[in-house]
Formats: sequence, C-alpha cells, structure tokens
Amino acid sequence: MIRIEGLSKKFGNLTVLKDINTKIEQGEIISIIGPSGTGKSTFLRCINLLETPSGGKIFIDNIDILDKKTDVPKIRQKMGMVFQSFNIFSHLTVLENLTIGPVKLLNIPFNEAKEKAMDLLKMVGLAEKADFFADELSGGQKQRIAIARCLSMNPEIILFDEPTSALDPTMVSEVLAVIRRLAKNGMTMLIVTHEMDFAKDVSTRVFYMDEGIIYEEGTPQDIFNNPKNEKTKSFINRIRNLHFTINTPNYDLYKLNAEIEYFFEKHIISKRNTHSTLLVIEELLTIYSNYFNVFNIELIIEFSEKHNTINIHFKYFGDENNLLESEELEDEISLSLIKNLCESFDYIFEDNYNKINISLRN
Amino acid sequence: MFKKMNKSVVLAIFLSLFLLSCVSEDSISIQRINSLDDLNGFGVGIYEGTVHDLFLSTNYPEIHILRYNSAADMILSLKTEKTYAVLLDYSSALLLLKDNPELGMVTDDILSSPLGIGFNKKNLSLLSEFNDFLKVIKNTGVYDEMFTRWFVSDSELAKMPNFEKVNTEKKLNLGVAVADLPYVAYMNNDYVGFDIEMIKRFAKYGGYDLTITTMEFGSLVNALASGKVDMIADGIAITKERAKQINFSDEYAMFKTAMLSLNKYIGDSSTVNKTNSIKLTFISKFKDSFYQNVINENRYKLVISGLKVTFLISFFATIFGTILGGLICYFKMSKSSMLNMIAKLFISLLRGTPVLVLLMIVYYVVFASININPIYFAIFAFGLNLAAYVSEIFRTGIQGVDFGQTEAGIALGFSKIKTFIYIVLPQAIKSILPVYKGEIISLVKMTSIVGYIAVEDLTKAGDIIRSRTFDAFFPLIMVAVLYFLISWILIFSLTYLEVISDPKQKRKHK
Repeated sequence: MIRIEGLSKKFGNLTVLKDINTKIEQGEIISIIGPSGTGKSTFLRCINLLETPSGGKIFIDNIDILDKKTDVPKIRQKMGMVFQSFNIFSHLTVLENLTIGPVKLLNIPFNEAKEKAMDLLKMVGLAEKADFFADELSGGQKQRIAIARCLSMNPEIILFDEPTSALDPTMVSEVLAVIRRLAKNGMTMLIVTHEMDFAKDVSTRVFYMDEGIIYEEGTPQDIFNNPKNEKTKSFINRIRNLHFTINTPNYDLYKLNAEIEYFFEKHIISKRNTHSTLLVIEELLTIYSNYFNVFNIELIIEFSEKHNTINIHFKYFGDENNLLESEELEDEISLSLIKNLCESFDYIFEDNYNKINISLRN
Repeated sequence: MFKKMNKSVVLAIFLSLFLLSCVSEDSISIQRINSLDDLNGFGVGIYEGTVHDLFLSTNYPEIHILRYNSAADMILSLKTEKTYAVLLDYSSALLLLKDNPELGMVTDDILSSPLGIGFNKKNLSLLSEFNDFLKVIKNTGVYDEMFTRWFVSDSELAKMPNFEKVNTEKKLNLGVAVADLPYVAYMNNDYVGFDIEMIKRFAKYGGYDLTITTMEFGSLVNALASGKVDMIADGIAITKERAKQINFSDEYAMFKTAMLSLNKYIGDSSTVNKTNSIKLTFISKFKDSFYQNVINENRYKLVISGLKVTFLISFFATIFGTILGGLICYFKMSKSSMLNMIAKLFISLLRGTPVLVLLMIVYYVVFASININPIYFAIFAFGLNLAAYVSEIFRTGIQGVDFGQTEAGIALGFSKIKTFIYIVLPQAIKSILPVYKGEIISLVKMTSIVGYIAVEDLTKAGDIIRSRTFDAFFPLIMVAVLYFLISWILIFSLTYLEVISDPKQKRKHK
C-alpha cells in the first residue's frame, strides 16, 4: 500500500531523515517510537507531502506521489492526518468541520454528509457537541473530533502525529480508546507516539527511529521485550547515562562526585542511592590504585527510569585482573563495602579490557 | 506606574498650552492703520497665488503674509483678528463691504496691474483668436456694456445674458478658481461674472463648446501649463513669473488693490458704517443661515452633487484599493523575491508620500496629457493609497491564522487555493474587519482634498458656498455633519458585516 525507497529530508544543513526504506501493507498498524528529534514526525509529514522530501521515492497504491503529474490533493483525500495540536477549523462548528470535506471535495450532498457526520460523532461519543465550536471543547474532545473529521473523508490510511502529546493525562485515554476502536475495525494506521504501553498492545509492527533511519523494527514483542540494538534497549528501558574517562592518578575525585550528584539530582534519584553510588565508585578506585600505577579507566553510570535501577560499568585496560575477586588486598573493608551495597555483579575480560558490571541494591 | 504616566501627560499638555499662549500673544497691540507701513510685524491676509504675495514680500518684508484660498476665509480672518488687514481686488472689496458692515476700506491706492486671460504657450492660434475677439467687442461697444454691468453697477444684481450651448466638435475648457464677483462666481448653480460673460461671448464668437472646471487659484497656471485646460480666467493679473509659463491675452481690465480692515482700526473714524443690526434670536439666526447657505440660489444642489462626488470617489477607491491591496498582499507573501520587491517598494513608496502630493502627481505629472474627468484620477490616487495600507492589514490578518489550520486543510485534501478560500480567509476576515473599517473611514475623510485637482466634492461645495455667503460657521458645520453621517453609515454597515461574519453569531440566529 505504501512503499518508501531511500527517503531523505534535510532542513538546510541539518539532515533529519537519512535513508528510509519500508513497505506498509493494508490493515497494518504501525507505531513509530524513538527519542525526540529523530525525524518521526518529519517521516510522517513526508508521506502526505506536508514536507517535501529531499530525496527518495514514495509510492502509494503504486502511484509515485513525488511525480509532478500526480494529483497530490486527491491522494491526500484518501490519507487522513491527525495532528498533535488538533487543528479543528475554528470558524466552523463541529458538524461543519465534518461536512466541509465531503461537501466541498467529494461533492456529497449536504444532508447525506450531515447524516454521516452525525454517525461519526456518535462513534467518537460527541454527538451532543455538533453545534459547538473548537474553543468550547476540551483537548480530548477536540482530538476525537479531529479523528472523526479524518474519517468523514473515508480514508484508507490515517497518519497520527503524536495525537496525545498535547493532552492532559486525564484525557489521553479517551483519545486512545477511539484509536483502539479504529484498530479493531481494521484501519491502516501509522502512529507516532510516546505512549509505550499503547504502542505495545495496539500495533502490529513497531518502528524504532534513530539517527534518521528506521533503526530497528519488529513486532511489539520483539521491540519491547527483546530489543536487539543497544540504543533501542536504552530507549525502551528509558536509560540515562553518565560517562567518565579517568587517565591520571591525580584525578579530581571531588569534581567527579559533584557531577554524579548533579546527574542524580536531575533524575530525582534518592539520596541513599546517590550515596551508595559514590561510595562504590570511590572504593573501586581505591582498590584499583592498589594494583595499577597507570590509570586507564572508563566509567559509565546508567539509570533506568523504567525499572528505577542503577548500573555501574567499570572498564579498565590491562592484564586480566578481577578487582572484586582479589585476595591479596591489604584492606578487606573496601571489598566488603561494595559487595554489601550491590545487588549483583559480574566480570568479563575481553580484548585486553577488564569489565566489571555492578547492579546497585535498590 | 499608570498614575505617574498620567501626571507626565498632564504636565506635557500644560507646558504646550503655555508655549502656545506665549506664541499667540502679540507683545505689541495695533493702534491705527493708515497704510501698509502701520502693519509691520502684523498679519496681512492675501489671496493665495496673487500678485500681492510678491508685492508684499518685496516691499514690506516685515509683514506676516497669510495666504487664503477664498475671500470668505480672508474676511473671517479679519473678524477673528488673525489678520489686521487684507488685500483684495477693488471691485470685490466693494461688494464685501456691503455685506460686512463692520469692515472698512483703508485705502485703494496700493497696487494696480493689468488683467489678462491665460493661454497655453503652445496654443498661439487660440490666443490670437481671443485678442481679435477682444478688439471686436471693444469696437462694438459690447465691452463697455459688460464693464458697466459688472464693474460700475452692483455686480450682485447683474444679470448674465443667456447663452445657447454650442454643440460642436470644437471643445474649449476653461479653468477658474471661483474667486468672487465681479470676475467669476457661482450663483444659482451657474458660473457668472465679467470673465465668464466675456469668455462665453468668445465661445459663441469662435463657435466653441465651452466647459468650465473649478480648481484652486494657485493651481490654475499649473493646470494650464500641463494642458488640463485650454485657458484660465479669474481676474488674473499679468505678471512676469506667470508669463514665463503661460501666454497672456491683451489686457481686458485694470486690477486695483484695496486694503480692508476692521473699522475700529481704521484711522479716519468717519468712514465707519453705522449699522443698526437687530439682535436676532438663535433660532431665527439659524433659520436665516439655513436659508442663506442652503436654500438661496439653490445651494443645496451644490451640496448634493458634492455629496455624490464624495460618495463616488470613496466607493470606487475602496473597491479598487481593496482589490489592489489583495494583489499586493499576495505579492508580499509570495515566495518569488521579484514580486516581493515590487510589493515592498509599492508599500514603502505609497506610505511615505502624503496623499495630497500623490494626488497632484497623478493629476499634473503622470497623467498630465490625459484629459478625462478628474474624479477618475482621484479614485486612482486614493485607491493606490488605500492599497498600500490594507495590503499590510490583510497580510497580518492572514498570518494571524494559525498555520496548523492551513496544514489541516491541505492534509484533508484541499488544494492550496481552496484551503485559503474555505479555511484561512473566513478566519482572517474576522481579525481584518475592525482595522479595515477604520481605514475606509479615514479614506472617506481624506477625499476632502480632491478640490486640489478641480473636483467639486462635499468640501469644495462648502467652500464655494462660503465664498458667496461669507458665513464660515454654517457651511463648515454642515459639511462636518455630512461627513460624520457618511462615516456613521459606513461604520454601521461594516459593523453589520463584522457581526454576520462571526460564526457564533450565525448560530444564535438559527
């Protein structure tokens, strides 16, 4: 139904979409997820040419829509779009919003269009608001009207551009319920969303977009329970990282601590966890200095918002030497402190690198 | 904060009032006027564009010259003591003294110069034809008869002979300023006076179809030089400056200057005309003014035709300006840098030029060689001016509509043009109308300057009436009230449009 080949989009010097290739079949419900600024909305807007692509090809029902001869407005009539900011026509009543398209574009008689509009309004639960204006409705109601307006044109595909991002949390569910209903009826849909649970149970396929491409795609089970790529994983688990490299024995411990504290504060992590993290790192460094004179350490602190867990990755260059297993320590206290504070830990040696991963006790 | 600002505003007003009072208060007051020498340092009124201007500024450089456009304004300036003396043509002065008993003549021995009819430099045949005609009437005694009628007897009572309108291909366009009797005046909806009679006789003599156009005295020479009219007459003195631009006929009369002032300032108190004016009640005064300014000599016809002209100019300038404004707005918003430049240039040029100057440029410079009704030029100039302003109003109105509305329209399958018509325009109109309304009203009021290009609109009608009745109050107030009524009707109808274009209003009516 939709075939996209090598789609790219640049805004001046900024490349938003690099190279997108995909095929979408009728009846598919595709959720597009990914961090902000990775071109999810741009991708969607390129499909109905609200943005003109810089390169590549888009075929809809085997018609090349970038061909100058193609009647683009005609194609858009078959392809509805729901915006983040609703964009209900503010000079028209709710009913007129639903009839203007059919009457002016499809030449359907007004009475017929009105009947259909009332049916659609009933479907989205807003029949009693038919004579209202946009500024008299709540956000959730506006978005449901916007969906009904799309449906008034009998579209074959609907593109949803973050339909719930501008809504109060209390109104998100009413809009999602309407979209779920469309899904049940077999409508082909592309949904850019940040609602992970919704994406997980409504979609037939999930695109994870990053770096201007479809970075990983698969069934909701694949993407949400078993992501293959590191980036996908950290996005799904909503992981935030902090990186350090230490390459001198005279490193500034106070500065290091201050930066970690700031990072933790930003992500509202408890004082107790902050304290434990700082203690573990300090002890690790103390043990390390007993064995090595040359400092070559990479330190990564990971915080998963989803699971509320903290992982510390301690990576150092040199001969195989597991700091946490050593028996020749002068000071056993450091080791027991670390072991006491963490939930689990493991050690790997590969490519001349020692890697220690520590999961902190919560 | 607000209180502070209020204080400073009040302070500024007081300060400017104080300064104004300093300026307007003469440090010395005038005693008696016997000659122009007594007027050094004081204001003297003259007719704009006359020989008096050069005469005074050369010989009496210390006199403040105040230039007026009609005898009525000059008399009013005397009465309100804005001037202490005015210089006028002798014959006109005699008539004015009759109607204004509180005035007196200081002297009639100031300046005399010959009068001539003006012709275009290129049109030598018409000039020689007229000079021949002048010789003929002087030899046959017709001239003496006319002279007695207009200059010796009371010209107010003079009766113009009847002239049949000649229907020929030979057109003759005469420019006049309707200065006043005995030369040119407007009575009973027709031009009268010595000059008019003479030229009507000339038209008959030469077999011309004569049309008369009224303009400001100061524009007569320009209009002739640029070919808008074939000849000009209105007691025009033959001077070197004028002769550089136009040709003069042989002299047909002598022009004698009289100086008028209020009786109380005139040296010889015996000339004071004693008047037995009866104290009139306000209502009978009003009745009298109404009769004088509206009924007498069918003056209401002048007002009605002026009203018509004002309405026509306003109406068509609005339509032309709105369409052009829309086009300029489209240029300004288009992606083509070329169209953009045109729009920017147009807007900044038109907004940076006074309408009056624009109007005169259109009339005297750009379309100098085209001889059509000047109303078209007025419509054109005011339309251009309106377009420059409304194009920006339209642009801000259109840009004020959330871009999401356009996107939603396009995403629904509307073409760009249909999106504009069905989605953007109805929303833009709501924000455009209130400002647009103000612009149209100011256009209507702005049309009051068309008198400069020989269009007789409402203001000019008031001026012509004033020049006959010497009543400043009634014609001015009448014209003001009429302008107010036009504006009020406009506001009313545009507000109605505003109401019906509000979608919520529509629902209430259902």
